[in-house]
Amino acid sequence: MKLRRTLLATIGLAFAATAAQAEIKVGVVLSATGPAASLGIPERNTVSLLPATIGGEPVRYIVLDDASDTTTAVKNARKLVAEDKVDVLVGSTTSPASLAMIDVAAETQTPMISMAASARIVAPMDDKKRWIFKTPQNDKQMASAIIEHMSANKVKTVSFIGFANAYGEGWHEQFKQLAEGAGIRIVANERFNPADTSVTGQALKLMSAKPDAVFIAGSGTPAALPQKTLRERGYKGPVYQTHGVANNDFLRICGKDCEGTLLPVGPVQMARSLPDSNPVRASALAYVEKYEAANGAGTVSSFGAYAWDAGVLLEAAAPNALKAAKPGTAEFRAALRDALESVKEVAGATGIYSMSADDHLGLDERSRVMIEIRNGTWSLLK
Amino acid sequence: MSADRLLLGGFLAVLLVLPAVLSPYYITLLNYIGLYAMVALGLVLLTGVGGLTSFGQAAFVGLGAYTTAALTTAAELPGWLAWVGASPWLTLVAGLLITATVALVLGSLTLKLSGHFLPLGTIAWGISLYFLFGTMESLGGHTGITGIPPIELFGWTLDEGGEIYYLIWAFLLVAMLTTHNLLDSREGRAIRALKGGRVMAEAMGVDTSRARMIIFIIAALHACAAGWLYAHMQRFVNPTPFGVHIGIEYLFMAVLGGAGYVWGAIVGAGVITVLKQWLQDWLPQLLGASGNFEMIVFGILMVLVLHRAREGLWPILKKLVPVPAVRKKIDDAAAPLPRRTLPAAGEPILVAKNVTRKFGGLVANNDMSLEVRAGEILALIGPNGAGKSTMFNQISGVDTPTSGEVLFLGKPVAGHDSREIARMGMSRSFQHVKLLPTMSVLENVAIGAHLRSGKGVLSSAWRLDRAEEARILKEAAWQIERVGLKDFMYEEAGSLALGQQRILEIARALCADPCLLLLDEPAAGLRLKEKQALGELLRKLRSEGMATLIVEHDMDFVMGLVDRVVVMEFGQKIAEGLPDEIQKNPAVLEAYLGGVE
Amino acid sequence: MDISIALILGQDGITNGAIYALLALALVLVFAVTRVIFIQQGEFVAYGALTLAMMQGGSVPATVWLLLAMGVLVTLFDGAAALRSGQARKALGVAGWNLAYPLALAGLFAVVPVASLPLFAHVVLTLAIVVPMGPMMYRLMYQPIASAPVLILLIVSVALHIAMVGLGLLFFGAEGQRTPAFSEASFDLGPLLITGQTLWVLVVSALLIVALYQFFERTLYGKALRATAINRVGAQLMGISPALAGKLTFLLAAFIGALSGVLIAPITTIYYDTGFLIALKGFVAAIIGGLASYPLAALGALAVGLLEAFASFWASAYKEVIVFTLIIPVLLWRSLSTHHVEEEE
Repeated sequence: MKLRRTLLATIGLAFAATAAQAEIKVGVVLSATGPAASLGIPERNTVSLLPATIGGEPVRYIVLDDASDTTTAVKNARKLVAEDKVDVLVGSTTSPASLAMIDVAAETQTPMISMAASARIVAPMDDKKRWIFKTPQNDKQMASAIIEHMSANKVKTVSFIGFANAYGEGWHEQFKQLAEGAGIRIVANERFNPADTSVTGQALKLMSAKPDAVFIAGSGTPAALPQKTLRERGYKGPVYQTHGVANNDFLRICGKDCEGTLLPVGPVQMARSLPDSNPVRASALAYVEKYEAANGAGTVSSFGAYAWDAGVLLEAAAPNALKAAKPGTAEFRAALRDALESVKEVAGATGIYSMSADDHLGLDERSRVMIEIRNGTWSLLK
Repeated sequence: MSADRLLLGGFLAVLLVLPAVLSPYYITLLNYIGLYAMVALGLVLLTGVGGLTSFGQAAFVGLGAYTTAALTTAAELPGWLAWVGASPWLTLVAGLLITATVALVLGSLTLKLSGHFLPLGTIAWGISLYFLFGTMESLGGHTGITGIPPIELFGWTLDEGGEIYYLIWAFLLVAMLTTHNLLDSREGRAIRALKGGRVMAEAMGVDTSRARMIIFIIAALHACAAGWLYAHMQRFVNPTPFGVHIGIEYLFMAVLGGAGYVWGAIVGAGVITVLKQWLQDWLPQLLGASGNFEMIVFGILMVLVLHRAREGLWPILKKLVPVPAVRKKIDDAAAPLPRRTLPAAGEPILVAKNVTRKFGGLVANNDMSLEVRAGEILALIGPNGAGKSTMFNQISGVDTPTSGEVLFLGKPVAGHDSREIARMGMSRSFQHVKLLPTMSVLENVAIGAHLRSGKGVLSSAWRLDRAEEARILKEAAWQIERVGLKDFMYEEAGSLALGQQRILEIARALCADPCLLLLDEPAAGLRLKEKQALGELLRKLRSEGMATLIVEHDMDFVMGLVDRVVVMEFGQKIAEGLPDEIQKNPAVLEAYLGGVE
Repeated sequence: MDISIALILGQDGITNGAIYALLALALVLVFAVTRVIFIQQGEFVAYGALTLAMMQGGSVPATVWLLLAMGVLVTLFDGAAALRSGQARKALGVAGWNLAYPLALAGLFAVVPVASLPLFAHVVLTLAIVVPMGPMMYRLMYQPIASAPVLILLIVSVALHIAMVGLGLLFFGAEGQRTPAFSEASFDLGPLLITGQTLWVLVVSALLIVALYQFFERTLYGKALRATAINRVGAQLMGISPALAGKLTFLLAAFIGALSGVLIAPITTIYYDTGFLIALKGFVAAIIGGLASYPLAALGALAVGLLEAFASFWASAYKEVIVFTLIIPVLLWRSLSTHHVEEEE
């Protein structure tokens, strides 16, 4: 083990030269390869845009890829904590990997900000989850927007199709609960793999239940396949998707078959169309402009915004923690945790965060809007 | 103390102090290496030694992990199950039982698959189990199960990397020790014979189906134990670590480390785990953080390694540290193995009556009859294509006659498999030598004594078989001495000349203590001196009352040695009698020389 | 389920099955001639589809650079060997195929604006880029260890599969791609909706199978490959170079893979990591054919496609479980009915 040198992927490499002891180290675990790569890559691209100094202290970001695998995620988290002595963990991209990292964060008393959706990551609150925060809206918040829209449009029966993984599963769980409350019946419940080359069987099953609407719970371009198949088979009714599809690749793949698709998204997707009065507009727009300047127009997605908001939260909380202790110490980590928990009305790209001891997400209804795909682009529903 | 003991002691000492020296993260890595090595060790046994390729080991890891995760976190277990969830140690037992049962079922379904069907079969149930873990809501679905408690041992709670480290490596070392012991035993030789060819092993009385099942279950149990440790170390389980991709990675580790070697498992697991870490550290420095190059570089590195080291890394490492091979000691004081009483001289031992064997329209044997008596050597000769080998197969029970019958000691051979026939006292050599080239001559011969001993897998693993093992080795050494291969006893069988390999087969056959010896062209490839020595040996056996049937081409060798000769041509017997008579028989001369001018 | 649903599922299964059949044929061929289990077959499918998609998107496909890199390596190895043994002309030939050709392709992209070319030209260029990677891969990765046991060759395949997926992510990104259909025509046949692209898939698959048959029956190279498949040593003694046979086989396999990718890219979305599951199903079909029989492999492929289509209708959550569990009895039957051959290792 003579190579115990920590040569690291640092974005703040320029600061390495002046590395004072007071440098704040942020360990980022994300899924830049493997099945969740389409979520992890925008997150990785976003990390390089995060603030280089916070409260006057330089910040160093150390990014590790977990290949969408929970074992590697935990291994990486341990490495960041033990070798790099990071002050805070950010990650991971998927819910299972984030859940798996909770034990590492709690054991080493390191605050952690997850970029995954499942509500189970921060609730119910317990001794371990005290250390965990997350930036993406819970599936429940997004699902409630869909349910509201369905109720308003007299949708009584829904056929559900979701990914055969944690994403589809989480959505089904939340959606089912809310639908029951709203008197909406789920008449078909199907699964498909993101890599499937054909979903004809599922599509026929969805249609044979003669639903008022179809709800597809998938992320990125794979979610286009069921919708294209449904349209090809002559399904004319409304189709709902999740915010996971809100990137331009989805529009490109789905084309005219996705006209009229309804979905809830975070403000980031619609930043330019939001009215000036919207409290999230400015902060969302700030991210969109920065990201698109670095990666090209139309490349922004919700997932990158989750990484961005982790940075926003840190920027809000770390100065307070710095008053209490020096970075690199257990006291600083504890102070940072406390500071994160007391964040109030902080505007990120995804919404307004107001944390409390019981709520480590802190987002409310301002974190989502319903939109429609019209003329091949996203447009706000009135 | 011998050099290898010293090295081993040093290794253990290093393992013991590592947690005090290394940073916590490297202990974490060592924990993972230990877990991976345990699964890879099962694959060493299954794939490297037994020749059965499995992609499905990750699913067994999953069974171990999910059993304990589900039982220790369940809020309410049904009454009859509640006691199991009380302690991880009980769930380990439960997991092992479940895994053994599942492995037994899967094994009985897929181990019958031959050749390349087997790996695909393992992929099939590997994928199926993976998706089942994800689809069953009671197992947390794709999202997984959190809050698995740590293991407690004598009041210690193993909730930190440095603590569970000792447990993981203790498990691994015990697994390595028992595997090592097992391979160096009667059952182990039977397992190692699987890869060399099942026909030979069966002829020596090894139940190869059982041996395959045994290594399959052992490998599954290793994986299950690793899964149990994984669940309590990670304290979270979800399906992704148990998919086919990870199953392939375990195979990768075993092959890279050296699939045929117990230590190859650690080497493979260690190299791959550490390499991945280093790539993760180094590549972004070299190539920038914009893309992920780890997989690409990793894949290509693996190919390059395999180009240079087909046997894996362990044999190369071994050469760097030259430790003289420890020779097995032959204990002269060991009690001899029991011997069967040979039938009285002149008693008929093997009787073939009107044997006919047809392959479609081709009649390979037509109405063949012959008899071998105790204390005589009978030669079956004939030109190429006369049907001698087919007749040999009918007699040895490898094939069944279309009509007619073969009686061995008064019982029909047909309907019995090679093992039973071997048990009855018939032992054979092969026309195309079948031995295990990388095993020593001594061990090759010892396989012959399989049926004369009975210690099983557990006694082998825990070295309760040493008294019997000493008896087997003594017997094997004696047979080797008898056939004149004493100087080569510790050589690899594959390094012998072809003639010597044939002699080795005879020693192996003798090690089974037969009353009938079937030799298929034993003199082919032998030099004159060796032929004379072989003749001497066969005469000596004859004087002890052994019955011998030789199929042979070499006339000079046959005529000076045997008591009677049966001559075949075109599937039929054309002559039978004393060597002198046969040499003058016009039909025989016609067959061999194309007629007398 | 009514009859129309069954018909639609049947149609879907046959379309997928046709692709699996092509891949199965390639897998059988590669295994028979070289003993390599060609897991990367699926990556050739993805590379084919995504290279085409990149050109459709108006950019120079990154696979050109991979081809160039592989060509440089082959030139270094083979050219140097030829020069050392004084065969200057051979060295020139090696450089011509492995260096000048990729350079010429790269040059073409530098001169001609990609977006201006018609779909057909894109397809031809895709094949021109991806297919030569097959023989180059054989030369670089397998030829040095051609005599190794099947297990080692398999592990090399797995390693290359990992590397190719990594490269795919780098080249094409994580998001999926779809290309325009070869023909927008579609017509109704009872409850069935038959698109032009489906017809393309079926017709090209059938034509390719017939062409392969003709190749093996009629041509000298085809016969040489068959001879190698039956008896490697014997064929070598008869003057058939195993290296040539290997390269030729990989050329065919790469062609089949890339063409399959081009064919299905308009029907479904292809990702950098799509290949593994597709190839796995082709592999299942190949095994049903005993890794030896082409017609049985093709039938097996159709069976897998149909099973998959119906399983996704009946119990989509358990689709893979059903497909992969049901093949075990088939394997058992195949295993018992195949003449048992001792493994060569």
